[in-house]
Formats: sequence, C-alpha cells, structure tokens
Amino acid sequence: MTGDAAKAQEAFQNTVREAALRSARDEPPPDRLWFFRDARWRCLAASEQGIQAEPGMLEEVEIAPFAPRQIEQLEPQQLAVWISAAPEPQRTALALFYLDEFSLREMLSLLEIKAPEFADLIASGRRQFQSWLDATTPYYDGEDFDAQQA
Amino acid sequence: MPNKPETLLHCAPITEKTGIDRAMRVAIQRARHGKKATAFANQQAFDMAVAKLVHAIPVDAQVAEWFANEKLIPVVRQRWKKILLNPAVLAILLALVVIGGVFAYRVREHLRDFPGADKARRLLTVATSTRSVLLDPLKTDAGALSDLFFMKYRLEHYDVPAEFADFKTLGTRVFDDEEVHRVAQIWVVEKRIQFFLFPAEPDKEGKINDFSDWRFVELEGWTGAVTQRNGVCFMAAMRGSEDGLKPYLEKKKQ
Repeated sequence: MTGDAAKAQEAFQNTVREAALRSARDEPPPDRLWFFRDARWRCLAASEQGIQAEPGMLEEVEIAPFAPRQIEQLEPQQLAVWISAAPEPQRTALALFYLDEFSLREMLSLLEIKAPEFADLIASGRRQFQSWLDATTPYYDGEDFDAQQA
Repeated sequence: MPNKPETLLHCAPITEKTGIDRAMRVAIQRARHGKKATAFANQQAFDMAVAKLVHAIPVDAQVAEWFANEKLIPVVRQRWKKILLNPAVLAILLALVVIGGVFAYRVREHLRDFPGADKARRLLTVATSTRSVLLDPLKTDAGALSDLFFMKYRLEHYDVPAEFADFKTLGTRVFDDEEVHRVAQIWVVEKRIQFFLFPAEPDKEGKINDFSDWRFVELEGWTGAVTQRNGVCFMAAMRGSEDGLKPYLEKKKQ
C-alpha cells in the first residue's frame, strides 16, 4: 500500500491505537472494514509525502495464456513493489482484490467507488502487469502452451 | 451492485466463495460456457497466480505477531442499555408487547368462552344502543315476567333467576334477532341494568348443557353475567366491570 514497510507499520500501529482508544471511549469500531478503511487512509496520508505515481503511464497488453508461468518466475517482493507503485485508487483496488479476502461489495465500500470504475481499475491493472511481465520476464516457450489447461 | 456481465467478470472472485451474488454467479457460468471461455480462463489463471504470489509476500514479523494475538484490540460489547435504547429495537419490542398483549387477551377470552358467549356479546351491543323508548313501559317485578313471556309470546322457560327476580322493571320487549333468534329484553330501575333471555347455544355435539354458575362476557365497557337453565340463557348486562355485577350475584348465596 505504501511501498515502504516502515510507513505501513506506522499506519497499522496508529490504526490499532485508534481502535483501542475508541474502545476505551465506549465507541468500538463498528465492523472489521473500519480497520481496513482507517489503515488505508493513513497509508494514503503517509504516501502523499513521497513520489507519486501518475495514472496512464504504463503500457497495456492483453493477458497472455502463459502469464501464470511468467508470474511463477517472480519474487513476491517484485509484485509488492509493482503494486505499491500503482496510482491510487488502483493500488488499493489491486491490493484488496488479490488479497482475495473481501467480497466485491466490501471492496467497493472500502474504496468508495462504483463497480464499473473498480472493474476498469482491475482490468487495466491486469493488462499493465502483463505488459510489465513481458518486459521483465519474457516467456519463450509459449508455442507449447495450451490455454485450455491454464 | 453492477448488472453488466462484463463489469462483473472483470472483478470475478479469484476463488469460489459462499455468498457470491447471484448476478455474479450467472455471469461466471455464462463466461465459462460462452464464446469468451478461453479469455475468462486466462483471466482466472492470471488472477490465481497473482493471488498466490501476493500471499507469499513476507509480512513484517512484528505485525504478524500482532495479528496472531487475537486480543490485540479489546472488543467492547455494546451494553444492553445502549441496545435497548436503539429506536429500531424499541419499536420492535413495543410491537412484540402489543402483539403479546392482544394474543394473551384472545387466549384469556377464549378460555373463558362458553357456548352462547358470541350471542351474549352480540346482545351487549344491543344493550349499548338501546333507548328506553324502544321498550314497552311495564312496572312490575322482573320475576313476574315469565308468565307474560309464556302467555303472550309462547316463550317457555324465559325465567329471570332468583338473584334478579325482585328487581323493579321499567320496560320490556321481545324481538327477533338474525343470529340470536327470539330475545326477551328487560330494563330495570336498579343502575339501569338490562336483562336478556335468549335460546341457549348447543355445543359441538349438538347438546345443550345448562350451567348454573355465572359466566362473564365483556364488550366495549359493558359486562354481562350469563347463566343457563332449561335451555334458555339469562344475561344481566350493565356498564362497567365484573365487580359491578358480583354483589348482585352473591346475594343469592347469602
């Protein structure tokens, strides 16, 4: 979310502290989404001070049938850095979507956007990531790849 | 939630979960068996590979430790007082109380019911609307009217019970009611009490079971004390509660 572990940790700590304070005031967080919403805004506030990614700067290509094999070659940190470099709200959309822990309704609530916008963010994120994959992790064995088995 | 299948497919869940919207399920099923099956399969494989990699991203040890501690954030349960003061909860509770009250009243009324109770209630409505001018003026003892009813109207056993036989009458009439049939109505001086004599109601087996005790019916602020002898019901009706009638009913016992 921030591209900086220290900033993320600080945002997380502040969210937990805020939750504890609210509980002490007899106003506990209403639901689990509150934690993610609060942490997200803290991350956004923290990352505003750094270099900002600009939307629409990356090339986009259609998803390749062999993309999973390209992804397998990546290190997890590479993906983390790529996602953290995406502009908001695409960064949060990709992070929430690929965590695979939230329903669509919850993600829309957290991001405070409409479904078509969310779908566009994810779809363009896929295409941009594929473009980045092609540039960094080319796959030369594609001729033998059977898309139906993917 | 979006309705367009394309929009839905772009954010199709990576793993099958329970509680997915019906529109989403339909869109996924159509995509899997339609023209875009290959493209959708590629997208799903791509998403699964990315999700797998996301879960492999190392989490800071301190943060991981915090998440492992379930009591990290004290969960303060909403106090009962706060829950009860919630307008929605209050409205539900009030509705339940009203429903419970009506149900209890109905059950109580049903438990006290007897064959002829419906007829008695119907005559209570007659009592509420009766004016003295409707009755033929007649000043005598209520107990003396049995002969009049038999001689003039051929009404057998239309007898006023001993408890009320000494009451002075103001007027009387005999009329036909659609449901109750032949009814004798007597208006007495004492607290403007009205007496009704009417045919008894047979039970479910078609038998008429007399009862010598007094049973009560209530309607719109009026109370009737009913007893049944020789297949004829007698009801003393007055405005007020059972307590107003009980002293007259206990006279006989004394």
